[in-house]
Order: sequence, then C-alpha cells, then structure tokens
Amino acid sequence: MQTSPLDGVHRDLGARMVPFGGWEMPVSYPSGTLAEHAACRTATALFDVSHLGSLGLSGPGAFDLLQATFTNDLRRIGPGRAQYTHLLDEADASVVDDVIVWWSAGEGDHADFVVLPNAANDAEVVRALPGCVDLRPDRALLAVQGPSARQVLATVSPEAAAVGRFAVATVAWSGSDLQVAGTGYTGEDGVEVSVPTDMASELWAALVAAGAEPAGLGARDTLRLEAGLPLHGHELGPGITPLDAGLGWVVGWDKEAFRGRAALAARRDAGAGRRLRGLVVEGRRPPREGQTVLRAGEPVATLTSGNFSPTLGHGIGLALLPADVVDGEVLGLDQRGAEVPATVVPLPFVRR
Amino acid sequence: MNVPSDLRYSSDHEWVRDVGDGVVRIGITDYAQDALGDVVYVELPAVGASVECGAVFGEVESTKSVSELFAPVAGEVVAVNDELDGAPERVNEDPYGEGWICEIRVVADGDLMDAGAYTALIEG
Repeated sequence: MQTSPLDGVHRDLGARMVPFGGWEMPVSYPSGTLAEHAACRTATALFDVSHLGSLGLSGPGAFDLLQATFTNDLRRIGPGRAQYTHLLDEADASVVDDVIVWWSAGEGDHADFVVLPNAANDAEVVRALPGCVDLRPDRALLAVQGPSARQVLATVSPEAAAVGRFAVATVAWSGSDLQVAGTGYTGEDGVEVSVPTDMASELWAALVAAGAEPAGLGARDTLRLEAGLPLHGHELGPGITPLDAGLGWVVGWDKEAFRGRAALAARRDAGAGRRLRGLVVEGRRPPREGQTVLRAGEPVATLTSGNFSPTLGHGIGLALLPADVVDGEVLGLDQRGAEVPATVVPLPFVRR
Repeated sequence: MNVPSDLRYSSDHEWVRDVGDGVVRIGITDYAQDALGDVVYVELPAVGASVECGAVFGEVESTKSVSELFAPVAGEVVAVNDELDGAPERVNEDPYGEGWICEIRVVADGDLMDAGAYTALIEG
C-alpha cells in the first residue's frame, strides 16, 4: 500500500484512512463527509489527490504519441491548456482509463506534457506511453475546489489563483515551482496543484490557514456524483465506450488514427445501445451501486453509482440505460426487495 | 469512544437500555456511528412487528456504507424514533440519546455484554 507525502498530515488531523487504488488515503476528517461536501459547495475544500498518476512526456514525438494513443485531439488546445481524454481498448473500444493531459509548455521538440491517470490504472497507461517518466515520487497533488477557492488561493499565491479554467501554468512559490491547472472533479471552480514533495506540507498548511477545509475521498465521491462526472470502474470500464457514457465529445474523429478508433467507429455506426443517465428517488435512502433498474417490472440496467445527495437532500444514482429512455420517465429501482420509483433526469444533478 | 456504564451491549454494536415495564430502548453505539460515518438514512422497523433475537430489523446507511441492524433481544416493537426520518444525523450527534432507534417489549433476552466487556471488544 502506497502513502501520500501528506500521510502524516492527514493522521495528525485525525483522518479516517482507506485503501484506494493501491493507496492509503483519507476518506474523511473528523468534520465528516457531509460537512466537507458542504464546504466545497459553499466555500473552499482542499483534497489530497497525490494518488493520481503523473506521467511526464517531452520532446520530439511526444505530441504524436499522445495523438495516436488517446481519443481527444490535442489540436483543439495548445501549450498552457489541459484536456480530458480517454485511453481505449484496441479490440472493443472499452475505456481503459480516463485521464487529464496537461500541455505544460512548448511545441514540437520543446513540448512538455503531463498525463494524469487514475491510480488503479497507472500501470496500464504507462504501458501505452513508452518513454514516459513517472513524476509521482517527486510531487504531491492538491485540489483546491469551491466557489471561494480562488480567493483562498490568492492569499497564498495570486499567480496560482489566476490560472483559468482548463489552463495550465507554472508559478513560483516559496522558492519552488508549482504546476497549476484549472481542473477538478467536484463540479466547482478551482485548481489542481502539483507541488514538490518536500514543499507539500507547507502548501497544505498555508491553504488551510487561508480557510480551505480538508476534505476526503468520501466527499470527493458525493461531489463528483452530483456533478454527473463518471468514475472509472463504475461508469467507465470494460464493455463501456465513451459513447455509452455520453462522452462523445472526448473523441477526436478528425484524427485518422488513435487506439481503438476502428472498434469505436463500428460501435458508433451500429447505433447507441445505451446511454449514461441520471436517476433520482424521492426519499433519503441512498441508491447503491449494483441495484437493479426496472422498466415495467423488467430489469434493464444495474446502477453504476448511487448515494444520498447532500445538496438536494434525496437519493441520486447513475446507470447505463436503454437509449430510448427519455428524461422524466419513471423507472423502478430495486432497493433490497422494495421497488422504489426512480425518475430519469438530465445530468448534472447539481448545476453550478 | 464513549461506552456508558449503565447500558448493555451486543457484539453487533448496539446498546440496550432498560426503560422499565419489560421494555428496552435500542440504538447503535458511539463506536458504530463513528465507523459508519455520516448517517443519511435509517430504516426503522414497524411498530407492532415481532423480532427474533439476531434477526435483521432495520438498517443504517451512511454516505459510505449500509449497515444492517440485528435485534439484540426478541420481542415486539412498541415504539420507533420517527425523528430520524428527517434528522438521521442524530445517530452521529447523540447515539445514546436523541439518536435512539426503537423500543422493544422483551420476550427473550439476547447474549448481551456489560460496558467493560464491550470496551474490551472494540479495543481488542
């Protein structure tokens, strides 16, 4: 089990630690998941996401390798921008991993990229990117998220706070370089910051002193669920294409080649079989992953994620539903033997 | 962890308080609520239901997991804490007080521990 450079900080704060993708990370702090969730929706939350991978790729051939490997088209962005993209299975176009690519700087021979895979899929992405360098041992990764995230960050580093949505910049802080990207996984404004390992505790403490509330993986999951964002291993994974997940926009069809293109084109031409949709129930009882979705009493899908929505005050869930299901349609959800009405809604559940 | 000395405990982390007249009040322990995390839903038994010792009579759901409630005694459910429908967080805030789950008129006692034995269990 690997641990974050901030492991001692979390333990000192009284965090409850859980295994996640081969890492031992905080699921919550003593304030609890609901309070941490609320902090992110109303103020500023601070997450340690050092478990995410960071693979460096530079110089001649880096651009072409990324273009040939991932679905999205880097020609849509340029140096100083970030892009969400997928790695597909060559044979059936399943999503092997969903990643963020930071185009840190430069073009051609001078291009610098960082690819950020999910912790559990890091090895798979490394295999797809021969020549990449594992940057993770030398850095921690913090996510500062929430409606006042930029104000909080500005008191620590005005330059970092000025990094816009999906922008990437290197800023000097306390004698070190921070890499800052205007990305996140909460549905809120904010940034993710790559900080050298030996400076991680100092940056964490500065952000907490400025008013950011430490938040764990529990809140990260309820936040991303409300934002309708897929989690690999749930809404993405074996047998699920980007098109099934409603993420057709991550596919750069203008590119002549990328891994899995032929299989994905075949799936596209065959027509959508199912589509990721939101379901809401009336009461507080949390829908749970694995529960059966019923249409006129017949099983049509299995819930891929579900929980209580702290913002909405009722249960929400995600499922890959038949393509002809429409918004507003009332389906059933088997909650341990009791069929509960579940209404299909557009995503996200919570729009910011 | 808070383990009041005047209560009895089950190995499933429920507490039992004698309220007189052959009735006991039941809830989950401080240790249990802490392990569950923020409680967002409690499935209460129906008043009038008969429960067998050790049988599932409800459940407590947090943001991270579902935990079944196992009856620490056998008997008839005579009262439930309806307040938990709208305020399940009381289970976290006051597990031995306002976070109580239900009351049962006892027909047969279960295998219960005193506070010392329960403390040894959770610290073991």
